[in-house]
Amino acid sequence: MTATVPPITTAAARAVFASKIYGHGDTEVRALDGVTVDFDRGQYHAIMGPSGSGKSTLLHCIAGLDRLTTGDVWIGDINLNTLNEKQLTRVRRDHIGFVFQAFNLIPTLTAIENVRLPMSLAGRDADDAWVDRVIETVHLADRLQHRPSELSGGQQQRVAVARALASRPDVIFADEPTGNLDSKASAEILTFMRQAVDEFQQTIVMVTHDPIAAAYADRVVFLADGKIVDEVRDPTPDTVLAVIRRLGD
Amino acid sequence: MWKVTWKGLLAHKLRFVLTAVAVVLGVSFMSGTLVLTATINATFDDLYTSIYAGTDAQVRGIEPVNAQVGPGSTPRLPVSASVLAVVQGVDGVEVAEPEVDIPYVQVVDGAGDPVGGGAVPTFGQSWGDNSDLNAFRLVPGSAAPTADDEIVIDKGTADEGDIEVGDRVDVLSLLPPREYIVVGIAKFGSQDSTLGASVVQFTIPEAQRINGMATDQYSDIGVVADSGVSQEQVRDDIAAAIANPNVEVLTGTELIEENQDEVGGILDIFNKVLLVFAGVALFVSCFIIYNTFSIIVAQRTREMALLRAIGASTGQVQTSILLESVAVGVLASLVGFVGGVLLAAGLKALLDLTGFDIPAGDIVIPPIAFALSFAAGLIVTVLSAMIPARRAARVPPVAAMRDVAVEHRRGFGYRIAIGLFITVGGAALMLFALFGSPSNAIYYLGAGAVSVIVGVIVVGPVIAVPMSRIIGWPLPRVRGVVGELARENALRNPRRTSATAAALMVGVSLVGFITILAASTKASVADTLDEQLGSDFIVSGGSGFGSVPLSPAIAEEMAALPELGPVSPLRFAGGTIDGKGEFIVALNTETEDELFDLGVTEGTFASLDVDGVGVSTPYAEDHDLAIGDTIDIVFTGTGLTPVQIRALYEGNDVFGLAGNFVISIESFDAHFLPEQRLDFIILARLAPGATAEHGQAAIENVLEPYPTAKLQNNAEFRETQEDTIAAFVNLVYALLFLAVFIAIIGIANTLALSIYERTRELGLLRAVGTTRRQLKSMVRWEAVIIAVLGTLLGLVIGFFFGWSVVLALEEDGFSSFDPAPGQLAIIVIIAGIAGVLAAVFPARRAAKLDVLQAISTE
Repeated sequence: MTATVPPITTAAARAVFASKIYGHGDTEVRALDGVTVDFDRGQYHAIMGPSGSGKSTLLHCIAGLDRLTTGDVWIGDINLNTLNEKQLTRVRRDHIGFVFQAFNLIPTLTAIENVRLPMSLAGRDADDAWVDRVIETVHLADRLQHRPSELSGGQQQRVAVARALASRPDVIFADEPTGNLDSKASAEILTFMRQAVDEFQQTIVMVTHDPIAAAYADRVVFLADGKIVDEVRDPTPDTVLAVIRRLGD
Repeated sequence: MWKVTWKGLLAHKLRFVLTAVAVVLGVSFMSGTLVLTATINATFDDLYTSIYAGTDAQVRGIEPVNAQVGPGSTPRLPVSASVLAVVQGVDGVEVAEPEVDIPYVQVVDGAGDPVGGGAVPTFGQSWGDNSDLNAFRLVPGSAAPTADDEIVIDKGTADEGDIEVGDRVDVLSLLPPREYIVVGIAKFGSQDSTLGASVVQFTIPEAQRINGMATDQYSDIGVVADSGVSQEQVRDDIAAAIANPNVEVLTGTELIEENQDEVGGILDIFNKVLLVFAGVALFVSCFIIYNTFSIIVAQRTREMALLRAIGASTGQVQTSILLESVAVGVLASLVGFVGGVLLAAGLKALLDLTGFDIPAGDIVIPPIAFALSFAAGLIVTVLSAMIPARRAARVPPVAAMRDVAVEHRRGFGYRIAIGLFITVGGAALMLFALFGSPSNAIYYLGAGAVSVIVGVIVVGPVIAVPMSRIIGWPLPRVRGVVGELARENALRNPRRTSATAAALMVGVSLVGFITILAASTKASVADTLDEQLGSDFIVSGGSGFGSVPLSPAIAEEMAALPELGPVSPLRFAGGTIDGKGEFIVALNTETEDELFDLGVTEGTFASLDVDGVGVSTPYAEDHDLAIGDTIDIVFTGTGLTPVQIRALYEGNDVFGLAGNFVISIESFDAHFLPEQRLDFIILARLAPGATAEHGQAAIENVLEPYPTAKLQNNAEFRETQEDTIAAFVNLVYALLFLAVFIAIIGIANTLALSIYERTRELGLLRAVGTTRRQLKSMVRWEAVIIAVLGTLLGLVIGFFFGWSVVLALEEDGFSSFDPAPGQLAIIVIIAGIAGVLAAVFPARRAAKLDVLQAISTE
């Protein structure tokens, strides 16, 4: 544990001097190289960067799916570094929401059961009014009793977003949530996520390689070679593309 | 294609080890059985070869009756001194020595304990001086018996009873116990005894006296031929000289073969029974292999499709899977065979501990044992992989581009129709076998039982869904979403779940059957004892209806006790009636039905003097007999004798004691050979006014010199019977354990493979906050559902088996059907626990998954 900086910001999640190193000596790869970044509450953040830039590693480490080699990550005022495996699982369950690129849902559970899964696992009663509102927002009311195999890819991702929202987490992490969708379904999902930030004051951190998707965010952070190299506020597809081109040169 | 096969095997080592274990265990059981019986067989072959090594011919009486009942081998007519004289005069006969065999004698050691008995026989014979005919050799310091109170005992008996030359010992026989001086101790060749049997050798007159024979009667005559005269020659010459239809002559070789065949026949039954259990184990293995290959094929759909896409033919894909199964089958069968040989060696050592004195010979491994076990293991493996292999071959090349692991749910309608047809047909066949009394009923019964099981297996995938739903119904309520996930996981692959459960079902159906049968037997025994036995005391030799017979002197002495009212021994022998060997019971008919209520419907037992017989009503009806009719019975002593039916009785006791024919003790003594007069049990009732304590003390006083005789009251006797039943049931449970164990391995195997298949899903569950403990719990409950599903199906089948068999045995005294709900419930609970145990390893694997890797698994 290095540099246990107390959270003095309003960040929902933050990384401080975060490094992730694979291998030793000659084969050493620094996937993350001393990244410090805050993700403020009530904001929609996007992380971009070329393949191997460390964007997914950063997301996984902040989300408590992976551990840093050095540095700290915080979810609210919880330092994930100090937690054991069991506590980390609890944090994921109670404070974090996830949307993955694919295979977001448990095939044996219905849509509504998938939405309520984190609460069910915690043995908590879901806030029914809230869950209803979330479901309404993502237009799932008529699909609740369907199994994932009976839903289209877009519908499945909407269920995943609903699940992430349903437990009212401190922060939602989305890893290429529209990577497998066509443009219409992508737009739907991104709109729902935008709504979640605007209407429900949720915090979202999304990894994407799509400038159009990134343009839905309030802020885009650019990574290259494990370091933050640039940042764009209130992005548009064009401003994002411009940064990408510049970084590519 | 070999390369693909081999790489496939190496890539999935663990699952193949688990699959192979199932085959290994089944093959071990089978080869162990074959090797053990071959070894025992060879041991007995050697024994008889050495016993009759010097005998060129034997002259003996014929078997007057073709039924073997009671101790010892089937009684033969004695040969007389006049025959001996004729034999001695035949040309080519060098020596002809008379021999007397005594079916039962037993030495009592200095501490008053009987020596030997139990699993090994104790018997007596006359000492022969000719060393060609008598294979026993006196140890230094010993002498042959010359006086009537002198005996020679085998060294095994001497060592066990701590007896030395010059000691005085009591010997039990059908006469009152008598004290003898041990003048000699003999070894059998280099062995201390004949496979642990306790043999006492007397002078000929004493042996004749014990058997109740006249002084000019012998059991047989051993012959040594002059050198140069063949066994056949001397046999034929003797037979021609005697020319008596009641006497037969055999060569030494024939005698050896006859004895070997007799032992071989018993071992053959033993062999078949064990092979049935080995077969059950192998049958259960089929499901494990089928499941493993099915899952592997499903998981490798893309690989198969890719092979097809780059030009492999359906045949080549199918062959590659079958070759995998061949490799597994060959390896598992080889390992299993080695295991079987070790098992046989272990069991042989165990037999030594139970009193058998088996020479430290080599384990006999007949080539056929290897061939059969190897073939069985290989065929079971390859056949079980056949369907998965065909399924693999049907994968279209385009599947390379599609998602993996799709289960087809076609043909459920056909399944129900075919499965029900087979089940109902099997049940009908069983009922026909049980109630239609066809010949070869046992084969119909077996075929019917197998059909019922196979039918249920066919319907399995259809009923697995609703049944798992019901079994798992409480889970979401008590275990929340984890319970629901467990239940849904058990449901998602009905074919896989049902095949896994079916493996357990097979074993459990037999466990359930035996449990119900045993409970019903127990209940029926209780009924019989309560309703049919009017005794206060029961004297038996050893445990329950023990193998050690009692001297008739005991019953005579007990009858004289003033503390006792009616006393009756029970005695059995075989007689021939209508050309068939029948079981004849003798009892004290003067006590009528006071001690043993056989339900006399007509006439009286008291009227059964030496010329009378009581016949059971079912036999009388079947053979159109009425009271007053005369039937001809061939007795061992008096030959064909007409007797009159003086009583008819129902006689449906669960022990089958009454049989179809009852005669009086007087009649028994008159019609059977004297050496057959051994009592089986003795029933006694207190005299009016006598207390139980007094009665017991008086009987114990009588039994003092008879250490094998055991006195019990009805309750104790019942307990002994129940213990005997329990011991039998435990033995069957032990034999079935392997099949159940393999099924449990199957559950573990299926779960491990399922978990491998669901890696990404498990990763997702962990990512959204499922704890390791919850994941383990999920796997565990899925295992419990599968285990309980298999157990419930098995118990339903077992219940039907038990019910039908008990019902069919009603006429044989099975008065009570006890479904044993308590025991069946315990079986279900044990199954649940077994499921939990089966899940330990897969659950641990599931919990250990690295979340990040799991999510990103393709």
